Amino acid sequence: MNYRFVVNPSLCTGCRTCELACAFYHTKNKKPGRSRIYPIAHAPDKFVPVTCLQCDDAACARSCCFDALKRNEITGAIELNLEKCVKCRACVAACPFGCALIDEVHDEIIKCDLCGGNPACAAFCPTKALEYKKIEVKAAPARQTA
Amino acid sequence: MIDIQLNGKMVKAEEGEMLLSIIRREGIDIPALCDHEAIEPCGACRLCMVEITRKEWEGWKKHVTSCLYPAEDGLIVNTHTEQVMEIRRTILDLYLARCPNSKVIQKLAEEHGVVKTSFEKIPDADNCIMCYACTRICEVLGRSAISAVYRGHDKVIAPPFGEEPPDCIGCLSCAMICPTDVIPWQDENGVRTIWKKKFDMIACEKCGKEIITRDFADYLISSRNIPEDYFKICDDCKRIDLANKMGSIILQAEEAAL
Amino acid sequence: MRVDSVEKLDRLRDDYRKAIDTQKKRIAVCLGPGCLAMGSDVILKEFKKVLADKKIKDVTVESVKKTGCHGFCARGPLVVIEPEGIFYTRVKKNHVADIVEKTLINGEIISKLLYIDPQSKKQITDYREIPFYSHQQRISLRNVGQIDPDSIGDYISSGGYSAMAKALTSMTSQEVIDEVTKSGLRGRGGAGFPTGRKWETCAGVESDTRYVICNGDEGDPGAFMDRCIMEGDPHSVLEGMIICAHAIGSRQGYIYVREEYPLAVINLQTAIDAAREYGFLGENILGTGLNFDIKISRGGGAFVCGESSALMKSVAGEVGEPRAKYIRSVVKGLRDQPTVLNNVESFATVPVILNKGGEWFASVGTKKSTGTKAFSLAGKINNTGLIEVPMGVTLREIIYDIGDGIPKGRKFKAVQTGGPSGGCLPEDKLDLPVDFDTLTEAGSMMGSGGMVIMDDRTCMVEVARYFLEFLVFESCGKCVPCREGLYQLYRLCTKICEGEATEDDLESMERLSKTIQIGSLCGLGQSGPNPFISTVKYFRDEYLAHIRDKKCPGGVCRKLITYRINDKCTGCLACLDVCPVDAITGKKKEIHVINTEICDRCGACYAVCTFDAIDIE
Repeated sequence: MNYRFVVNPSLCTGCRTCELACAFYHTKNKKPGRSRIYPIAHAPDKFVPVTCLQCDDAACARSCCFDALKRNEITGAIELNLEKCVKCRACVAACPFGCALIDEVHDEIIKCDLCGGNPACAAFCPTKALEYKKIEVKAAPARQTA
Repeated sequence: MIDIQLNGKMVKAEEGEMLLSIIRREGIDIPALCDHEAIEPCGACRLCMVEITRKEWEGWKKHVTSCLYPAEDGLIVNTHTEQVMEIRRTILDLYLARCPNSKVIQKLAEEHGVVKTSFEKIPDADNCIMCYACTRICEVLGRSAISAVYRGHDKVIAPPFGEEPPDCIGCLSCAMICPTDVIPWQDENGVRTIWKKKFDMIACEKCGKEIITRDFADYLISSRNIPEDYFKICDDCKRIDLANKMGSIILQAEEAAL
Repeated sequence: MRVDSVEKLDRLRDDYRKAIDTQKKRIAVCLGPGCLAMGSDVILKEFKKVLADKKIKDVTVESVKKTGCHGFCARGPLVVIEPEGIFYTRVKKNHVADIVEKTLINGEIISKLLYIDPQSKKQITDYREIPFYSHQQRISLRNVGQIDPDSIGDYISSGGYSAMAKALTSMTSQEVIDEVTKSGLRGRGGAGFPTGRKWETCAGVESDTRYVICNGDEGDPGAFMDRCIMEGDPHSVLEGMIICAHAIGSRQGYIYVREEYPLAVINLQTAIDAAREYGFLGENILGTGLNFDIKISRGGGAFVCGESSALMKSVAGEVGEPRAKYIRSVVKGLRDQPTVLNNVESFATVPVILNKGGEWFASVGTKKSTGTKAFSLAGKINNTGLIEVPMGVTLREIIYDIGDGIPKGRKFKAVQTGGPSGGCLPEDKLDLPVDFDTLTEAGSMMGSGGMVIMDDRTCMVEVARYFLEFLVFESCGKCVPCREGLYQLYRLCTKICEGEATEDDLESMERLSKTIQIGSLCGLGQSGPNPFISTVKYFRDEYLAHIRDKKCPGGVCRKLITYRINDKCTGCLACLDVCPVDAITGKKKEIHVINTEICDRCGACYAVCTFDAIDIE
């Protein structure tokens, strides 16, 4: 995969458009789901859009005893297969970044799936703090190992 | 790839692929209560039965559970014949006698035209449909803490000797996968109770929210290689922590640039 | 003493035969289940004691031996004296001294111990002339009742292990399979699947490991053929399995014996130990390089474990629940390896097929059901026991010529064949030949060979209820049509027996039966409704009598019958004494009266009355 989701937190204004875009993209039964990207303030008016880092050796995938979390080789995202998911919440507890969580609206576990290759948050981010772009594999920085 | 005929239409399938997944892929809806992606099919509920035949059988038919029947080239499958519907209706009728209060069964039965059972209700019915999903998922998890005990009509899902199951880690997989929601469990005051066993919950060091049972955490630490301190704080606090860490890195970088 | 060549085996056989010939008289005491229950082991001990004391020329303690079931259980305990075939029936311990003195020493026959033919009223000395025996052709039971099951010498001298020697040293695996296929042998456990084809398919599956399993579960109530073969001729089963191992390429075999047959386990283990000692099991059998061993696996008391896939789970130490067999067990069986599972009787027949040839076997019986079949005759029949007849013999021949009809002058009503999976056939079906297919077309099935005869004091609805209760108890519980369906069918049948059912209920039962037959996961469920379906087909008027008239024509269903004392009563007070609810009143020498309000219809009075004074309506 030669696409990476790149976050540039210093460009984040905390407008929360990404949150809205994500929730509406993942609407089911006419109800928008919980967002999978979380703009959080670390200082007054200073935000970081926290989201899943699609780790190389992901703790969430390791913790799943039912093989429900697998990497999509094309998009690079670690996807949660809802048909296999048993909702045991092992991944919710195991992810070191808290990026797998419970969506109470639809009663399911959610995590960022890069929208199958065209992340809605990046498409709508007004400041380009979020980008999904092609990068040279050689120059790619090492992913977070969890 | 092979060709099979499904409800009169020719469709492609992998050789050996189970009929149920082909049927679902083609958008045909048939009930299959004991079926779940995370566990191997076992053909217990019998609702996914379909009629199969082959040209060489000259009209002779067979009824099989589609979750367990592998596709072969030249197979002719029919999912909604009169006979198949009659079987589904009778099975749902029998289920209603066994699980009178199960909303899932009531809804499914109604969809098939069965409003109430024509049989004698089972005394002390517990609404368990004996689909084995809970025992199978516990096996996949690697614990096998519960199983089906006794035989025939007395069969129930229970821990060994009806006591606290020594292998249960309180993960709730069984309760979550149960299609009729009949496994009772409770989280109260930092203690989880299921199968009469009590589990201490790990509480978030920052906000006190309950994260996971100590036993489940220990299991993930030892057999799935998750570091112990991942379980010290809850997901909400982890995200805040990550934001704060990244924030301080950014601030440092900005100051360095100045 | 390892027998590592065919020549050695042949020499051994000659030696054993010579030793037997030196016995001028051979006394066989039947220790089959029926005779044993009547104390024949005491008789055996007594013979040994008397012969040890008496010291008769040419007749020693070694001249008397135990055997398996000789077959005529109704006349047991049985003692047979060869070479004349002198057949003594209903022998008691206090007869033994007389038998030794009169028959063994003086050559006299003791008439009061002989069988009397009920037609000719003549006494018959040689059992081979008794119609019960003369109509039979014993192939799988060839040694049962003739040899001592604990003696491998007896087995070898009667030709045992010669088929194994032939197969292992002069036939290829394919040739063995071809011979079995030529014979037309079909599984004797009841399903009747062609054995040769089963072996052929299994041998053709790519695998390092293949298993041979003998199904000794015999769960059908009233069936004891397999028991008698396992107890009375265990080596024949081992020989059949070794031949199979050579045919399909297996190193490990199991005999699964139901929990309720401890004696079969003991006798089989004795045979296995002896076979190992002689080198017929283990490494390099008969010097041919075949390695094969057999272990006994015991059941836990479940009828469902007679079903092949449940049996294999039980052998592997898991709970005996069947699985859908879309992938057959010859492809994926025990521990997911290709496995041949055959019945006890099937394996016991294999050595004969190899020795006498598949063509010979196919010449016996009928075209589609070759060879013979063992049956256990039970129920309301004069000659209860164990028999074997060529396929194609009619029910009438079995029940009347061999079985000598219905006792106590009652009328034949129905014959139940095939155990709980079978059905009941009425009088007008008695001329049907017994084979795999004809009885099935009539709505029953031959099954494993259990045959229960019923007289006119039987209620067919109660028979259906009895079998349904059995099946509900034995169902593994995995699938809904069987677990819930048979249960509801049983509840409705009970309603009929109690006079509470309507005609709608009967229709409901017929619809439900269809779903159970099609929808069930395994054979237990699929054939579960058969007792109901066959009785409703042939005895529908009885069902309707229960439903419409609230009456039980057979005089069985408690809630629908009345006990009355007629004028044959002599006033003996016997019934008064025995009535548990004190429903009978009356003084000595006066006709007693039953208070039908209090009467529980337990039948105790009917059982004690010797004047035929009690009527059941």
